[in-house]
Formats: sequence, C-alpha cells, structure tokens
Amino acid sequence: MVADLVFYLFAAVTVAAALGVITSRNQVHSVLFLILAFFTTAGLFVLLKAEFLAALLVIVYMGAVAVLFLFVVMMLDVDFESLRAGVKEHLPMGLFVGAVILAEFAFILSGVHVDEAVQTNAANIPNTQLIGQVLYTKYLFPFEIASLVLLVALIGAVVLTLRKRKDAKRQHIPSQIARTRDEAVELVKVAPGQGA
Amino acid sequence: MPVQMPDINLVTMLPEILIAILGLVLLLMSAGQDAERGRKVNAMALAGVIAAAALTVVTANGSSFGGFFVVDPFARAMKLLMLLATGMVLYMSMEYMRDQKFDGGEYQVMTLMALLGGMIMASAGDFVVLYMGLELMSLSIYVLAAWRRDDVRSNEAGLKYFVLGSMASGFLLYGISLIYGTTGTTLFTGVATALSHGHISTATIMGVVMVLAGMSFKVAAAPFHMWAPDVYEGAPTSVTAFMAVLPKIAAFAAIFRVLLIAFPALQSHWNPLLQLLAVASLAVGAIAAIGQTNIKRMLAYSSIGHVGFILLGLTAHTGLGYQSVVAYLAIYIFMSVGAFAIILLLNKAGVGDEIEDYKGLGHKRPMLALLMALFMFSMAGIPPLAGFMGKLYVFMAAVQSGMMMLAVAGVLFSAIGAFYYLRIVKFMYFDQPAEGAFGMELDFSARAILTVTGVVMLVWGLFPGALLSWSGASVKMFQ
Amino acid sequence: MLENYFPILVFLAMAIGMAVVMQVLSFLLGPRKPDAKKVTQYECGFSPLSAVRIPFDVRFYLIAILFVVFDIEAAFLFPWAVAFKQLGMIGFVEMILFLLVLLVGYAYVWKKGALEWD
Repeated sequence: MVADLVFYLFAAVTVAAALGVITSRNQVHSVLFLILAFFTTAGLFVLLKAEFLAALLVIVYMGAVAVLFLFVVMMLDVDFESLRAGVKEHLPMGLFVGAVILAEFAFILSGVHVDEAVQTNAANIPNTQLIGQVLYTKYLFPFEIASLVLLVALIGAVVLTLRKRKDAKRQHIPSQIARTRDEAVELVKVAPGQGA
Repeated sequence: MPVQMPDINLVTMLPEILIAILGLVLLLMSAGQDAERGRKVNAMALAGVIAAAALTVVTANGSSFGGFFVVDPFARAMKLLMLLATGMVLYMSMEYMRDQKFDGGEYQVMTLMALLGGMIMASAGDFVVLYMGLELMSLSIYVLAAWRRDDVRSNEAGLKYFVLGSMASGFLLYGISLIYGTTGTTLFTGVATALSHGHISTATIMGVVMVLAGMSFKVAAAPFHMWAPDVYEGAPTSVTAFMAVLPKIAAFAAIFRVLLIAFPALQSHWNPLLQLLAVASLAVGAIAAIGQTNIKRMLAYSSIGHVGFILLGLTAHTGLGYQSVVAYLAIYIFMSVGAFAIILLLNKAGVGDEIEDYKGLGHKRPMLALLMALFMFSMAGIPPLAGFMGKLYVFMAAVQSGMMMLAVAGVLFSAIGAFYYLRIVKFMYFDQPAEGAFGMELDFSARAILTVTGVVMLVWGLFPGALLSWSGASVKMFQ
Repeated sequence: MLENYFPILVFLAMAIGMAVVMQVLSFLLGPRKPDAKKVTQYECGFSPLSAVRIPFDVRFYLIAILFVVFDIEAAFLFPWAVAFKQLGMIGFVEMILFLLVLLVGYAYVWKKGALEWD
C-alpha cells in the first residue's frame, strides 16, 4: 500500500521533472531537473528491488553524467533564446513524432504477456551479487569489450579537446630534482655604488 | 549458488585479440615524444592488419563464450573484407595523414578499434555482443570524423554523426530489450528457438523493426540516410574513405546474422521492410545525387544507391541472392577505395572537393583520369567492369525469386544514376583545366592502391568466377 | 525487504518537508515591498553591460569525461566484488584484463599531460 503510494509519487515527479528538462528556459535548470528525474528513477528501481541499478543511477548518472552535462551547458557559448525561436514551427512535427512513439508503446504493451518465471528470485540473493554472477560469467565477452569502448571514449576526449598551452609553465620533475646549486644561484660581488 | 563459466575458446578469436593488443601497444607508442612515431605506428598497424587477415583465413569454425562469438565461413569472409578495406585505406592515407598532421598515432589506434568493433559485429552470436561491437566501431568513427578539430565542417560532421548515431543506437537497444523481454534470451540461436515454437507477440515484431531501423542507419539506407552526405562531406577525406567501407560491411554482416539466424521465423514481417528500404535507397541514391556539386557528397549518395542494390540482393532470399550481396560488397570496397584514393591524391595537391575542380583532369593527367573514369563507369554498372557484374547478379537473384517489379526499379534507377557518374567523366575530358592544376607527384602507395583497385575492376568484370565461388562458399550456411 | 527502506523514505520526506515549510513560511511571513529600483538587476551599481554568463574552459570537459570513464570502471567493480567468491580465479583474471585495458588508457592520458592543468 505504502509502496504503491511511493511508486505513484516517484513516477509523477519523474514525469514532471522530465517535462521540466525540456521546458525550462535556463539550461542549468534543465540539467537540475534531469538530476531530479534520475533521482526519482533510482527510487523506482529501489521499489523494483533492483538496488544495484538504483545505486548505479545515483553514482554514475547523477554523480558523473549530470556533472558532465552541467559543464557542457556552461561551456557552450550558445544563444539559447535564438535556438528557442524555432520551437513554434517544429512543435507540430515534434508532437506528431511523440504521438507515433506513444502509439507504438501502447501497441507493444497491448501484446505483451509477462512471463512470471522471469520475476522470481527464489534464493533471495542480493541483486548486486546476482548481476555479478551473470555479468562476469555469461556476459564476460561483452564486459571485456566494454573496457575497449571506455578506452575509445578516453582517447576521443583527449584527442578532440586537449590543447597544450605553449606559454604555460610546467613542472618537469626530473630536471627540477637534478638541479644543483651552481646552476640555480649566481653569486655576484657588487661594488658599492655600482649596482644597477 | 555456484556459477557456470562459459566455454572460453580463445583460439577462435585470435585475429580480434591481435588487433586489440596492437591497438593498446600503439596507443602507448602514440603518447611518446618520438617525432617519427606516426610512420612507425602506421607500419605496425598495417602489419597487424595483414597478420590478422592471415589469422582470419586459418581460424577454424567454432564458437566461444557460449555462442556469443561465432566463427563460420560467413564471418570469416566479412572479416577478410573489413581487414582488406581497412588495410587499403590505411595504406593509401599515409602521405595524406603526414600532410594533415594526423600522424600522432592515435588516428591509427582509432582506426584499429573501429575495425575491431566491425569484426566483433561480424562474429556476433548475441545481441549484447552485437551492440557492444557496434558501439566500439561507431564511437571510434565519430571521433575520426571530427578529427580536424579546428575545422567547423569536420566538427559538424562528427557531431551530427554522433547525435544521430546515438539515436539509432537507442532504437537498436530498445529493439533488443523488447526481443529479450519477449523471448527471454539475447542469443541469436536462442531467439530463433523461442520463436519457432511459441506464439509471436507484437512486441517481438516491434523489436525486430527497431533493430532493423538501427542497423539501416548504420548502412545509411534510405530513409535513414540523412546524415550521410553532410558527414561524408565534412569529414577528412581519409576518414570518409574509411567510413564508406568499414561500417557498411560490418552492418550488413550484422543484418545477415540477425535476420537469417535469429529471425527466420519472422521473414514475412521483415522482408517487406527490406524491400521498402531497398527501393527507397535506390531512389535516393539515383535522384538526389544528380544535383550534387561536391564529389564527396555525390559519393555519399552513390553509396546509398549501392546499399539499395545490396539490400535488393538480400530480399531475394536465395543462395544466389546472398551470394550476390557478398560479391557486391567486395566489388563495392574496391570501387570505393579506388575513387577515394584519387580524391585523396587530388586533395593533397590542393584540389578541392567540388566536381568543377576536376575540369580537364583528362588533359593533364590522362592516367589518373582514366582510372577515375574506370571507377565511375564501374559504379554506374557499365560492362565489362566489376560493378556491372555485381548489379547483374543482384538483378538475376531478384528475377529468379519473382521480384520482377523490384528488378525493373533497380535497372531504372541504375540508368538514372549513370547520369551523374558520367558527368564527372565529362568534366574530366571535355573541359579545359585551370592554369597549373594537378601538379602533384604520385607516391608509391597511391600507385599501388590505384593499380590494384583498377586491375580488380577489370579482372572481376571479365572473370568473375573466382569471386563468385568465394562468395558462394561464404553464404552456403544460410541456405 | 522493502521495509528496510522505510527510514530512508521518512528521512527523505522530512528533508523535503523542512525545505518546503521554511520556504513557504518565509514567503508568507516576510515583508515584501518591491519597487522598480529594487527589482532591477545591476552590477556594481550599473545596468549589466553584457551577458554575465561566460563560457567555461573546455578543459573542464576533459576532466569530466575522464571522471565519467573511471567512475563507470569503478561501478563495474561493485558486482564483481560482491560475487567474487563464486567467480573464482577466472573472475579475477577477467577483471585484471578489464583494468589493464583502462590502465593503458590511464598511462596514455597521464603521458599526454591531460591530467595537468595549465
């Protein structure tokens, strides 16, 4: 009973936050709404007893991805008002596509029969452990490919955004350590009255 | 609860392991200070691709990770095509990369990672593996497209490809989740078994449609082609050459596997979709290319047209049809690489990408113009060149399985398409060159690639026997 | 099992409730007398001369992406650690391989100087 109530609460907030993402004028507010949507979705996962996914949503999506979005929004020098100008013309098309996708969802849901066997977790093993037991055995190969995908993301970010500043002073630790007194200090005897 | 480890059969995946390790080693090299590292990395990458091709030929049939990774004649053939295409593109872009200061080493690493993703797709026996391979390939190519980061058009190409590609991945993933939800497995063979006995729900069919839409995006089949012209135009030419070949082979390999292994039971549902995609691609490829003034854009539309032909061969669902698809892919690689090799060469000499810029090439560089004409005629499907053979077998397959209307449409659009290929030939031979144009030197790699692709056009056009028997052997398992 | 989360729910409700109550109370009780000068935006006594939002440096993006990548890597470690006993030696080796690939990426990033802020 309480669970149902909480479900509807979270679901309603998720939908409202998602609407906030696409309607708020300020991009930073959009990202904050997105974080709220992530959070309530995490709540929905908890209700489904998928705690690991909930934790993942909080750690990865709210902790990292949302921060990335925030950076990107602040990084872009885009006049959002001018972007907004086209919304009125594109609204009918957008609504049409949305309606088609909604109809698709309805169509699919009408034909689904839920297999009860999928839902059982007879031994009551914590779901993080269950995921671990599947991910690192049956899905071992895709898991290893994931490391390469992450690697490509890493290289891509470095290649596309890393700019070395020519005028920056950098540390060069070996040469700093190898420095001797002789090359660092010069003793000059200055005669009185001659110093410039 | 004890866990069940899948059978791990690393011998079947030696080519992939080699490419992965090579990629890691080259990445470490590219972080170094060596000014000559670009040349070394390129040489090592090429050697690795050749070694992987040799390994691919000798790996026996088999599977690994409980059927997630499958090696069979079809996978081997597709991987060989991919290795061949990547090797040729890497080899021919060596000089270009040095000119463009792309030779830090990361470029080759990204190329190898894209290749690895493609090879994984060709061997995928499971939807999750398919998706991961696709992401590995796409992500690398998004980055490659935006490689010239100070160039607005290259940035636009990368961004556009990325945004639309992510949406396509979303479709694919949603389709996969629907299929998993209704069949309870992600394994291709498992899905086929689940569908062969048991009722087929609308959700499964929707899943197939979504997966097909996602894959169509990757091969740039109309109406999922919108990204292709802009991305082809904006990306650096060496990258355009690469993405004109690798993702197409990989995605077609995946389409084959998904449709013929996982969903033979739903053929009546997906075949009309394939036919629709084929006709739309043929139409877009033929008609939209006519107005193009930029040669890379034109080749983008031309590749959409070729995708139409390949899909046409697939819809025939006969041995001949599948065979024609593999043969057409092989021919397409050589045509495309050859044409891009010439564009790359001219780019290096400061010639632009406009078709107008090719005015008078025939007067100044008769050999180059002749080769360009050869590739254009081959793409147009004029006998006795290889492109004609490819189209001929597709039409034969279509007629054989009673798709008269589609075959007629194919011939019609192919005739319309010939117009714009011939326009380039007209510019090259019937217009006068500008002062001092086309004064570049042909380096050895350009000569080698152009010789090989040119000879292949003629040989496969006149003696297609070997190609046909090879492609026939590779698709025998689907009959 | 879900009952275990009840305290968290209560905690959440209290946190939200407190924030809302305080906002509402200050809205209701605080005196507000807005006039034209008061509500006009200004900087140092002038009207703003330009848009106040200046774009962030692109280097923040690089840091954020690196963080995302290694965050995901860490996320993969949780289920592995929990199921470690059942996975045995193969599980250990496969995670070492996974980490090794990302370690190569880390070495690359470090050597490239992407971790330096200049």
